[in-house]
Amino acid sequence: MSLEQVTKADQPVTGDEAMLVRVQREDFSIDEELRRVRARSKRIGGIAIFLGTARDRSKGKDVDGITFEHYEGMAQKKLREIRERALKDFGIIELLILHRYGEIGIGDNIVLIIAGAEHRAEAFQACKWAIDELKQITPIWKLEHTPEGEVWVEEHP
Amino acid sequence: MVTVRLFGMTKMLAGNQGALSLALPDGRRVKDLVAVIEAAYPKIGELLQKKKVLVSVNQDIAHEDLEVRDGDEIALLPPFAGGNS
Repeated sequence: MSLEQVTKADQPVTGDEAMLVRVQREDFSIDEELRRVRARSKRIGGIAIFLGTARDRSKGKDVDGITFEHYEGMAQKKLREIRERALKDFGIIELLILHRYGEIGIGDNIVLIIAGAEHRAEAFQACKWAIDELKQITPIWKLEHTPEGEVWVEEHP
Repeated sequence: MVTVRLFGMTKMLAGNQGALSLALPDGRRVKDLVAVIEAAYPKIGELLQKKKVLVSVNQDIAHEDLEVRDGDEIALLPPFAGGNS
């Protein structure tokens, strides 16, 4: 696969790159994903990780569980765009983004971002930018299950 | 006829249909499609008016003057809420 191909967000990628941007139902292992990023380059000297998990309160109300829905195809495309922009704009070495869909229990993993860079400053910056951007441009929706019923969440938390 | 995919609250407001098949008798721009949806599903129409729901064509957010072609992948996108931090 040429470099040109893997830098185009419109094109689904295969192989190692495809594993670095995923939307999946099943849970993920942080250790395994961390190994995947570390294996990309021996130049990595700083790694920042963001893990989003399901909390039991939202806007002062109890939440029993969450269901995430995504737009298959467009969600992956937007996450690939985020990875490529992060690699280009922050001078980092690798960025992994995973987001789960389907029913998520309280306390369970939802989203994982791992930024690997030569130094910590770029890793932190890229990781924060990536999760903020994910919330803005990725077609993923959250249904909160509460004792009073189900609510589609509108605002960015 | 065009097919419009629905997600989240737009799916709920359309009686849990995952997609709508709509005829576009008066023009084929995104705004014509929005007018048809407003007539058939006023609650979704209200969200479209407020720009709380966006229209995407071929997985990109579409301008109201964009022309819709046969085979285009069209969707209504409610406000995104991924991440959960």
